[in-house]
Amino acid sequence: MSSETGRGVWVVGEQKADQLKSVTFELITAGRRIADALKQELTLVLIGHNLEHLTGALADYAPDKILLIDGEDTKSFIPEIYADSLGSLVLERRPNAVLFAATYSGRDIASRLAAKLGLGLAADCTDLLVDEKGRFVQVRPAFGGNLMATIFQPSARPQLATLRPGMIKGGKAQTKKTPMIEKLQPQPRPTKWSKVILKTVREVAEESGNLDEADVVVGVGRGLGSKENLRSVNHLASLLDAAIGGSRGVVDAGWLPHNQQIGLTGRAISPKIYFALGISGAIQHLVGVRTAKQIIAINKDPDAPIFKVATFGIVGDLFTVLPPLIKELETRKPTAQTGT
Amino acid sequence: MRIVVCVKQVPDVAELRIDEVTHSLVRAGVPSILNPFDEFAVEEALRIRERNEGTVTVITMGPPQAREALVRCLAMGADRAILLTDSAFAAADTYATAKTLALALQKLEFDLVICGMKAIDGETCQVGPELAELLDIPHISYIKKVEINSSANTVLAERLTEEGYEQVRSTLPCLLTATKALNVPRMPTLIQQLTAKQKPIETWSTASIGAERKDVGLTGSRTQVLKVYTPELRSQGVIVTTEDLRGVVAQVIKLLEKEGTA
Repeated sequence: MSSETGRGVWVVGEQKADQLKSVTFELITAGRRIADALKQELTLVLIGHNLEHLTGALADYAPDKILLIDGEDTKSFIPEIYADSLGSLVLERRPNAVLFAATYSGRDIASRLAAKLGLGLAADCTDLLVDEKGRFVQVRPAFGGNLMATIFQPSARPQLATLRPGMIKGGKAQTKKTPMIEKLQPQPRPTKWSKVILKTVREVAEESGNLDEADVVVGVGRGLGSKENLRSVNHLASLLDAAIGGSRGVVDAGWLPHNQQIGLTGRAISPKIYFALGISGAIQHLVGVRTAKQIIAINKDPDAPIFKVATFGIVGDLFTVLPPLIKELETRKPTAQTGT
Repeated sequence: MRIVVCVKQVPDVAELRIDEVTHSLVRAGVPSILNPFDEFAVEEALRIRERNEGTVTVITMGPPQAREALVRCLAMGADRAILLTDSAFAAADTYATAKTLALALQKLEFDLVICGMKAIDGETCQVGPELAELLDIPHISYIKKVEINSSANTVLAERLTEEGYEQVRSTLPCLLTATKALNVPRMPTLIQQLTAKQKPIETWSTASIGAERKDVGLTGSRTQVLKVYTPELRSQGVIVTTEDLRGVVAQVIKLLEKEGTA
């Protein structure tokens, strides 16, 4: 596909428990910006099973079109089938750009699609924009966020990119639109191999948010003292609808599951507020929170490196600060009893 | 069980510094290491071999000095090491890298391919799944546990998700990408390290894998880097003690409110 072919910006949304994830709205906002600058149409693609009811919420976000790849074969997440189904659609309709979420599943589909069609793919972008020359370009960190690179895919179309959740604010469009909805069948499962999901296990507490989606993340380090002390952290997190993450030390000690590790050998997150509780701030941890908007740090050690990057640093004991903070948040949080 | 592990030599990212005057990345003096996620991949391959018999072949694409990463894998216990090195391979993006590895792997026989989930320098998480697609085999990414059933010719793995994990079963051949949750890699002894240095490392070029120059390296890449720059450093904010505890709490609340989160 040469640079002259390809029209339209596609974003591949994600849903969970019958709801669109917030990254879907972030992708629509990013996609809308690019589509408008290129004077092209914006299409939202959803892949799964029984998706139609999700489209009701979308008029406010105004994609021009919605494509639903909807069938039994895409009921569970088998990235090979998702990529295969999306791939045949891309070949048939030739969009100019396809954007995905940089999540466990988004990266899987995007990678397989890129290899299948021989396309470029910019990973884990922190910004997506149209430059002064009118080209859609992608901005991404590398080397643990020590460098930023602007990427362009000069000839292969569509250009592909995954967008890190939390980087672009997902907002409603200025004018409502009733998008055209088209429902398509997924490609059949291959006969050459077979792959099945036997079970799905939730390890993160039900009330605790998702590290990619939450506006507030409470991060804990070994300074927490013990696993039992997580109780007050959980309480703080639930008051703020926050997700909980931790340093490598905390995960290695078994206080938190592995997918909640933040940093070089864990995940990179971009919440609005990051609470660093008892986290010293080793560089291996800091590379995972570089794109957090505000960092509030509490640590006994005034020389802890976390204070070099904190928006608001509190030198002191965690358990001196948490109780009055929790109490204050409790009085502010409307409960069912007071909601008359 | 014939296992191939794809590895990469990377700069020790934790040692990288930004020069405060020139704002450029200081690479000098930064040691090169075996990508930590690849170490988990090699360790798991060795454990699978110990339980199921078979061979572990490690392969890397890189400059001649990348052989050091292979020596490390041999010291850990890998049976065979292949270095894909050729000036034509330089500056490959994830597609060109996956393409080169795929051509090389097609010269080998394998039941299982394991890659680290990502390299700590590029951090894309893409090469593993791209390679699987080019080999036309299924993949299970971000695994934290794996079991091989040789008689059924299947692999059972636990794959990390945002909120926990899912248990996935796939037929072999299959490609897996390794996370830190998988294992604690063995530390080779000094004797093992010295012995590994004497072991042969095969060197493969563009011609060895039957690639054309247009398929590999910069010319085989689909992405182009327009500009590289150092991000704005976070500036230090306000630091307080807990002397005025009420004031501290009020300031935290104010910040939460400012971001619309309380």
